Amino acid sequence: MDALSALKMVTTPPAGGLSANSMQDLAASATKSIPTAELQQLSSINSDSPLQTSGAVSAGSGASFENMLGGLVNDVAQKQASAGSAVTGLLSGQNVSLHQAMISMEEANVSFQMMVEVRNRLLDSYQELMRMQI
Amino acid sequence: MIDALFTDSDYVAAKKMLDVSLLRHQAIASNLANVETPNYKRLDVSPSFEAQLRQAVAGQDSAEIASLQPALAVDTGAISGRSDGNTVQLETEMLKLNQNTVENTLETQLVSGSLARLRLAITGKG
Amino acid sequence: MINLLTGIDSTSSALDAERIRMDVIAENIANANVTKDVDGKPYQRQEVVFESVLRAQQDADSPDAGSQTVQIARVQRDSRPPRMVYNPSHPDANKQGMVAMPNINIHEEMVDMIASSRSYEANLAVVKNARAMAMSALSIGRHS
Repeated sequence: MDALSALKMVTTPPAGGLSANSMQDLAASATKSIPTAELQQLSSINSDSPLQTSGAVSAGSGASFENMLGGLVNDVAQKQASAGSAVTGLLSGQNVSLHQAMISMEEANVSFQMMVEVRNRLLDSYQELMRMQI
Repeated sequence: MIDALFTDSDYVAAKKMLDVSLLRHQAIASNLANVETPNYKRLDVSPSFEAQLRQAVAGQDSAEIASLQPALAVDTGAISGRSDGNTVQLETEMLKLNQNTVENTLETQLVSGSLARLRLAITGKG
Repeated sequence: MINLLTGIDSTSSALDAERIRMDVIAENIANANVTKDVDGKPYQRQEVVFESVLRAQQDADSPDAGSQTVQIARVQRDSRPPRMVYNPSHPDANKQGMVAMPNINIHEEMVDMIASSRSYEANLAVVKNARAMAMSALSIGRHS
C-alpha cells in the first residue's frame, strides 16, 4: 500500500529496518521512536491527570499509548481490508454494488487520515514535551 | 475507535436507504422488462421491511438499522387493468423509476456530505 | 462482467425481446398481401409469446431474489383462417373469384407496434436512470 509507506517514511525506522507489510510493526516502531523511559513518564502523567485522552484508551497502566496506537492501527487495517474486499467483489462480478464499494473506499480513506492526524499530534506533543524538559 | 466515526444513526440510515433504492431499481427494471408478459405480477421492496426500517430510523438505533436486510416481494396491492393478468402499469412504473433515481441521488449526497464533513473535522481542510 | 448498472439483466433482456417483436410485426406488415408463400398458401401472420424467467445467478437468500428477466418463448403462427376477398381478376383467384388473403389486420399490427415501441422506450429510460445512479455513486469520494 503506497499510503502506508508514506506513513512509514515519516516515522523513524528502527535500526533493523521495517518489514514492509506489517502494520503491527508500524505501530511498534512508532512507539519505539519515542524512548521507553519517556513513554513510561508520559503514561504515568496520563494516568495521574484528570484529563482524559480521546477515544477508547485501555486502562492507564504502563503502555497505554502503545495500546491505543495498536488498536487504532488494527481498526484502520480492518477498514482497508474490507474496502479491498468490496472492490474485489465488485470487480469479480459478485453481489457488491458500486455504491457499497465507493463508500467502503471512502471510509477507509477517512480512517487512514484519522490515524495520520493522531500520529502527527502525538509526535507534536512529544516534541513539545521534550523542549520543555531542559 | 475508528468505528465510532461511522456510527451516527443518520449516516447509517442514509447508507441503508441507499441500498434499498438500488434494490427498488432492480424491482422496477424487472417490472418494466415484463410489462408485456402475460400474468406477471409487479414486484417492489417488501412493505414489512419498509415498516421496520421506518421504525428503526425513528428510534435512531444505528445497530438496529445496520442489521436490517431488505428484500423484494410481490406487490399484493397491485391490480391488473388488463385481460392477461399482468399488474404492471407503465405510467405508474415510470413515475416510480424517476422518483427512485432522485431518492438515490439524495442518499448519495447525504452519505458523501457526511464523509466530507468528517474529513474536514479531521484534517481541517477539504 | 462487473455489475455497475443495477438491473441491467432485466433491462437488456427486455430490449432484445421488444426488438424481436418489432421485427416480427414488420414482417407481418411487409407480407400483408402475399397470397402465395413458400408453401403455396397465403402468408400466415406470426406472433410472439413473452415469458418471464427468474434471473440466472440468483440464490434464494440474495436480496434481489424474485426479480425477473423476459424472453420470447416462441414465435408462433396465428391459426386464424385467411380472409376471403372477392377479386376475380387476381391471378390466384379460385373458381368463385375469391382470393385467400393473409389474415393480417393492419390496425392490429399498428397497435402492437406502438405498444412494443413504448415498452422499448420505457426500458431505455430504465438504463438511463441506472447510469445516472452509477455516475452519482462515482462522485462519492470526490474532493473539491
